[in-house]
Amino acid sequence: MRDFVKDRWGEILYNALQHANLVFQAVLLATIIAVLLAVIINKFQKLESVANMLSAIGLTIPSFALVGLLLPLTKIGAMTAFICVAFYAALPILRNAVVGFSQVDADLLESAKGMGMSELGILMRVRLPLAWPVIHAGVRTSVQMSMGIAAIAAYVLGPGLGGYIFTAITQAGNENAVRYALVGTIGIIIVALIADLLMLLLGRLTISKGIRA
Amino acid sequence: MTDPSLVDVESLDQHPDSLASEEAEPTGRAKGRVITREMVLMLTVPPILIAAIFGGFVWWRQTAKLDIVEQNQLNWAVLFQSHWHQVFPSWNPLDWHKPFPSWNPSSWYDGPLLQGLIWEHILLTVVSAIIVVLIAVPLGIMLTRRGLNVLAPLVVGVANGGQAAPSVGLIVLLFLWLQGGFWTAVIALSLYGILPVLRNTIVGIQSVDPTLVEAGRGLGMTNRMTLFKIELPLSIPVIMAGVRTSLVLIAGTASLACFIDAGGLGEILQTGISLFKFSLMVTGAVLIACLALFIEWLGRVLELVTRPKGI
Repeated sequence: MRDFVKDRWGEILYNALQHANLVFQAVLLATIIAVLLAVIINKFQKLESVANMLSAIGLTIPSFALVGLLLPLTKIGAMTAFICVAFYAALPILRNAVVGFSQVDADLLESAKGMGMSELGILMRVRLPLAWPVIHAGVRTSVQMSMGIAAIAAYVLGPGLGGYIFTAITQAGNENAVRYALVGTIGIIIVALIADLLMLLLGRLTISKGIRA
Repeated sequence: MTDPSLVDVESLDQHPDSLASEEAEPTGRAKGRVITREMVLMLTVPPILIAAIFGGFVWWRQTAKLDIVEQNQLNWAVLFQSHWHQVFPSWNPLDWHKPFPSWNPSSWYDGPLLQGLIWEHILLTVVSAIIVVLIAVPLGIMLTRRGLNVLAPLVVGVANGGQAAPSVGLIVLLFLWLQGGFWTAVIALSLYGILPVLRNTIVGIQSVDPTLVEAGRGLGMTNRMTLFKIELPLSIPVIMAGVRTSLVLIAGTASLACFIDAGGLGEILQTGISLFKFSLMVTGAVLIACLALFIEWLGRVLELVTRPKGI
């Protein structure tokens, strides 16, 4: 096992970075879209339960099925993997962002308005910082979830460590098969752990000091 | 305002669904059996959606001109085949009075009962889910008892991080170890599905108000009585949310069982991807998604039905 990893160290590291990169980009896009959607949803109270329902339904769809639905549109490759990961990443963030925004005290918004802040100013300087701890928790969840989904998306030649797992299936019987599967699985878990630590750090840095738990 | 304790619960959480139920719980307890707007939506919309999409599939299946590959893969027999008629050959409501054909067991049908891909998928899901509940709930209860409860935070932590473990990796590793087949897939699915139920059982029991347990003790209840009459009933909503989460996870992951010769609807999708045949890909994906949605809906119904009336 040691030699196996040593021989392929560069390649494994490259794939691990690709995995992290795919998740990072997808979650970033998902966060932006989800927060924007949540801002709109927050304006119309009635949309809230509909949005929650849609995100629940979306999370129910297995990722392998979504890959199948996307393939005719985006063909085999990284694009399918990216859209697939971003889709699932957006749902927990959307849910938490809706909750986060709705928890912001109306009195605070009132006083912000009274101080003459513009709509955008209130959003950027009052609502977003106050809702951010909840949104951040959603982003963290998303990152963890995306790691596993990116592995499945590797079936259609998405980038990352998932490819090793599928190599293991095709090589079943070969003594390297187990090593490939282990490298893929454990590699993803390690990447996920590191990502989670970084997310914690990001939380430390971005959550406003005044409301930090 | 943002309540720090809430953030804590959410950062612990991995599946936003179970989060919602935990959040909703305190208000639910205060107002009695509430059915929120969201619950109504979640109980009504998915069945309509499933019916519409599945109906669309049936319509397409019956009217479109299928080529030979599609005919083979999307045969109704391949999807739904079952062998009940071979188990009860004479079963016909009109001649119910006829005796069973033979008392000789060697002549009885002993082949697979449910062979269609949909049945395989459902069987994988249901068997794994039952195993999960049978293992995770008692284990979760044990981990909240005195003595073992030092381990509980550790288990909850592992259960939260477990989401990142790729389900494919687990399935493939078990396949390389135990060979393929139904039971290997069931083991993999159960291992993957245990975490949410275990976690929610521990969290649910721990979040029961300790003064209630104290009150129970004051009434002279034994350990067992407080568990079965106070702690479990109060934590059932949370536990059931975990069961539903795990059902959905299992139903989704069962679509990967085709990689290790355990069948399921993933087979259609896999064939579609291998042959790069859009019709098969979309059909497989749609059927998998419909089944997952249906199982999710069943989980919600189960959640509603099992919720004790008092809370």
